[in-house]
Amino acid sequence: MRNSTIGAVWGKSEPWQLEGYRRQLEFAGSPAGKCGGDSCSQVIFLLLLLKEKWVLNRMQQPVAGDRSTVVPLLYPSQTSLAADLHYTHRIIEDPEWSLATVPHLTELCLQHIVHNFEKNPILDRLLPEHQRKVLDRLSTGLPLTVTANLISNEDYWKRCCTERWQVCDISNYGDSWKRMFFERHLENILKRFIPNTTDPNQVLELIPLCKDYVRKLEVDQFLPPVKVDQKEERDDLSDTGSEFGLSEVSVHHYDLGVLITALPHLEELHLTYGVKDCGMNFEWNLFNFTYQDCCNLAVAVKMCHNLKVFKLTRSKVDDDKTRLLVRNLLDHPCLVELNLSHNLIRDKGARAVGKLINRSRLEILDLCNNQICHLGAQALAQALAENSTLTSLNLRLNCVEDEGGEAIGRALLTNTTLKSIHLGSNNLSEPTATLFSQVLAQNTTLTSINFSCNHLGLDGGKQLLDGLADNKALTEFDLRLAEVGQETEYLIHQIVWANREAARLGSLQHPSTKPL
Amino acid sequence: MRRAAGAEAGWGGLALSDPGPGPEERIAARRRRIAARLDAKRREAFGEDAEPKVAEEEEEQRRSHKQIEESRQRLAKLLFDGTQMVTNIQVAADARETQRRAEEAELKLQRVEKLESEAKSSTYKFEEISSKWALAKEMTIPQELWQLLNQQQQQCALLLEEKNKLIGELQEELKNKDEQYVQAIKKQSDDIYLLLERMEEQIRIMLKTYRHKLLQIEKAFELERRELLDNNRKKWEEAIQAHNAQELEYLRARMRKVEEFEKQLNRLRVQDEEEYNSMKIQLETDVQNLERQLQQMKAIYQLNQEKLDYNLQVLKKQDEENTIIRSQQKRKLNRLHSLLNNLRTKLASQEKQFREENQSLAADCERIVGQCKEVQSRMRHFAVSDAEKFTEVWLMNEEEAKGLMRKALDADRIIHTQQLGLPWEEPRYWFLGNVGPLGHYKAKRMATKLAAEVLTESGSGGQEEEGREKKKEEVGSGEGGKENTMKVEDRLTPLRNISKKTAKRILELVSDESGFLIESKLLRPLHELGRHERTLMKLDSIFAALKIDSEDDLYQLVDFFLKYKAQEVAVSQSQGSPGGEDIMDPAEDREDGGSDAQREETKSPQSSRGSLPSVCIHADDVLKILKAFARDFDKLREKDRPAKEVLQVQDRSKDGEYWEALAHVIPEPTLKLWDALMVALEEYYEVLKRRASLLAEAAVLQQQNSELYLLLEEYVSSGVNNKLLSPPTQWMDLSLSCPGEAQ
Repeated sequence: MRNSTIGAVWGKSEPWQLEGYRRQLEFAGSPAGKCGGDSCSQVIFLLLLLKEKWVLNRMQQPVAGDRSTVVPLLYPSQTSLAADLHYTHRIIEDPEWSLATVPHLTELCLQHIVHNFEKNPILDRLLPEHQRKVLDRLSTGLPLTVTANLISNEDYWKRCCTERWQVCDISNYGDSWKRMFFERHLENILKRFIPNTTDPNQVLELIPLCKDYVRKLEVDQFLPPVKVDQKEERDDLSDTGSEFGLSEVSVHHYDLGVLITALPHLEELHLTYGVKDCGMNFEWNLFNFTYQDCCNLAVAVKMCHNLKVFKLTRSKVDDDKTRLLVRNLLDHPCLVELNLSHNLIRDKGARAVGKLINRSRLEILDLCNNQICHLGAQALAQALAENSTLTSLNLRLNCVEDEGGEAIGRALLTNTTLKSIHLGSNNLSEPTATLFSQVLAQNTTLTSINFSCNHLGLDGGKQLLDGLADNKALTEFDLRLAEVGQETEYLIHQIVWANREAARLGSLQHPSTKPL
Repeated sequence: MRRAAGAEAGWGGLALSDPGPGPEERIAARRRRIAARLDAKRREAFGEDAEPKVAEEEEEQRRSHKQIEESRQRLAKLLFDGTQMVTNIQVAADARETQRRAEEAELKLQRVEKLESEAKSSTYKFEEISSKWALAKEMTIPQELWQLLNQQQQQCALLLEEKNKLIGELQEELKNKDEQYVQAIKKQSDDIYLLLERMEEQIRIMLKTYRHKLLQIEKAFELERRELLDNNRKKWEEAIQAHNAQELEYLRARMRKVEEFEKQLNRLRVQDEEEYNSMKIQLETDVQNLERQLQQMKAIYQLNQEKLDYNLQVLKKQDEENTIIRSQQKRKLNRLHSLLNNLRTKLASQEKQFREENQSLAADCERIVGQCKEVQSRMRHFAVSDAEKFTEVWLMNEEEAKGLMRKALDADRIIHTQQLGLPWEEPRYWFLGNVGPLGHYKAKRMATKLAAEVLTESGSGGQEEEGREKKKEEVGSGEGGKENTMKVEDRLTPLRNISKKTAKRILELVSDESGFLIESKLLRPLHELGRHERTLMKLDSIFAALKIDSEDDLYQLVDFFLKYKAQEVAVSQSQGSPGGEDIMDPAEDREDGGSDAQREETKSPQSSRGSLPSVCIHADDVLKILKAFARDFDKLREKDRPAKEVLQVQDRSKDGEYWEALAHVIPEPTLKLWDALMVALEEYYEVLKRRASLLAEAAVLQQQNSELYLLLEEYVSSGVNNKLLSPPTQWMDLSLSCPGEAQ
């Protein structure tokens, strides 16, 4: 408070005076910044001189000091009052003047450091309390080249973030404002990057600044290169469908390879090759994830050894691209989660992913809203039967049908790691339910099953209920719109609820017994 | 609980009031409401039963915990319902999407089919048209051609029209799709709005319920705390009151006790004072005593100290000495150790040496044993040769002695007959007939010979007695060989005791019954011989089979027969007698008897006596007896052998007697006689010698006399005499006449 008000006073009242001192300080400060002890003492000596001058000036000139400056300073003001009483008869020119309005020399120095931070950043050599003061006063508009690697104070970066974005959920960024700032900054740049138009150095320059802080990249928009006018004309002429063939050459998106490989701590990568908010400017080729893009991405991901989560959604990834990606992801040392939802993966792609399951450490696999049919599901089931790492599998909105569902059920008879499986909207019917009743009776690791929006039928529901009778592990079982009948659904819900209670009690008791 | 159900129902109502939920959601909501109602009913049904139990448990469980649990469950339920409600939208959208996809797929299939059929029909038509072109070429008449062309044109137009219609349809469909797409987008945006609304509403409700529950929980806690406080305060006050009462009691008791103690103290003080005084006096005396004792003790102490000092010094010295001795001992020990080591090495070497020596000695021993055996064999050889030499020397000496003896006897005879004129008769000594060493004087007769003798003797009857006497005389030349004959008789006694008849009978029986022992070859020629010879031959072969060589064996055999018979007879005579002895018993007796001649002698007469009445042995028993005899016979032989050797050695002692006897062949009186005779003869010889000398002297004297006579005669005759005053002749006549007269 006090500092800020004083700063305000400085700024307001005596701009003309400060100019000269600043110059002198700069003159004195710059060698101080460069050299060590001797020059430092010189600086202090000069500063002392300066203060003396300033005081003299104040004495000579009546200061239009705000009352507010003095009011918060309770004790000094009282002493000054006493001093006033003492000296009133002598100082006639300015009865309101008091020595207390004079800020400390350290304040002045810090002020100066703050003002000249961009040209001469001094932070590490200050005392902790001074550092804090300086950081509080620093402008958020300072260039990142100065601040990025120098300032690690969270408050500063918090200010930067809150000023720049309205919504800031720090929990998504590991409770680190700095990380959030840099990640979002980089994401913004990438979102607005237009190949062949934007200077790639814009990104490259940022790499050394942010490489230590970026752990997650969440880019939901990649702009395609700007089309030539000629093309636009042609667009007008031709239909939207004919665009594909013509714009093949220039349609590639930004190559992430250089960036990703330069970020050593990158762990999560969420990508969507598409354009947001295109409105009435919609064209098909805005959403074209080309094979070249995929090649670039795959090579980049392969080089990124710390990557744990990789999501590539809504990007028209078809079988060939899936296979290309999988080929590069085989034996990846860290990859734990793979999300390829909302794409165009068919059976071949699913087979490739099945291969990947057993040649990596994948734990979570999301393939929802693709076009996987029973062959692909069988491939996945085969992989699942042998696998012992995968814990969650999502196949929502595919058309696995009974053949695939049964294959997966049989795989689950032997698998002992999978905890959650989502088979919603897969056109399943009674045979799958029959098999899964067996699975429920036998498997003790599955905790969550989702069969919503299938046609299991009343008999299927009863069989599932029978299978569930002795199961104690299942805590979630979604059968909405699965045509199993209200009563069955209710009974199943009761069992699942009881299991969940038991699990909760168990987890409560377990940690309580441990400390004993 | 009922409240919970109510709340849920209320929540269901809220869900119902949601603006514009889709049909699926409405279905879901309805389902949920039904489920909630069912749940509530069930709970009510259970609740009545469960309530008393709950009441019981309530006291155990804390109310706040229960409240928390209840709230948590309800909140969880609420949360679950809320998420269900929110996700319902997604599920409904998914369901719609799947439905749409299914429809789309069907439509697509239809469309494709339609297109294909259309394409097929149009190609058919097109082919038709194009085929007609060929027909058109053949047309010659323009009207027809025109007509045809018109027709073609029409058909083409038709085809095009159809195509256009299809295109129109497809475009229509496309438009519909666009509309549908717009509708879907609108629907989706509605959904999203709904989603948002529901989320917000849920957040609101959750917040409200959370707050409410928090309040409730806090209230419960408050209540519980207040109750606890009240309880505790009550308890506290009660305890305080009790405590106060107790304190008062304690105080009173204490006062009482204090008074009592005061009294006791006073009493005690008085007592103690008295005790103190007496004690003081006693202690003072004690002190004096103790002081005295102390003095004494001091003196003793002094003394002991000096003694101990002295002892200490002595011990120190001893210790020093001990150290010295110890060092010496150590040195000695070391030395002895080294010595021990040396001795050990020596011992080892000596052991080795002795082992070698032992080996060499063992070798020596073996060698010596060999030598010994050799020496024994040599000795045996020498013994044999010695015996031979002995006999030779014996014979030579005997011859010489016999010569000398004969000479002496001759001399004796001459002396007797010629000198003494006594009749001399030759002395009959046993040894005179002896030739060779004494032990070997007798070769045993063969068994067969004896048998033959026996047989012949029996045959000749009483002659044999004389023959035997004759034989005896032959062997032991008269009375002189008395000892010799004694022996022979010893041997013959068994046979003699047994009558010749019985012996003969036995032998005949044996020869008859044990024909199986004879070789079959021999049997045939035997038939041709006479009875006597046949028996002899048979016996010969039987003895060979039984290994009976000497006459002794034969005697034994006969003896055995008789004894066996006697035994049998004894057994038969005294049936009830305890002496049911075996066949073996007599045999054993006989063994003893065989070794000892004396016993045999004493026994044999008995046996012979016993055998005499039962001479007839049954022919069947012969074999049994022979078997028993053959069994015992070997043993007997073994026992006989050492006795015979002893006998041989005994014979040597008699050699001296023999030679002594030889030496004293001239008896003592004869020698005395000879001595006396010699003395007499000496004297006689002396006389004779004197006489001889006298005779010689007389002869000389006669010669001298004759010579002197001659001389005298000469003298006398000579003229000198006459010349002589007194002639010698006068005197001489006298001397001459005297010698002549003596001769």
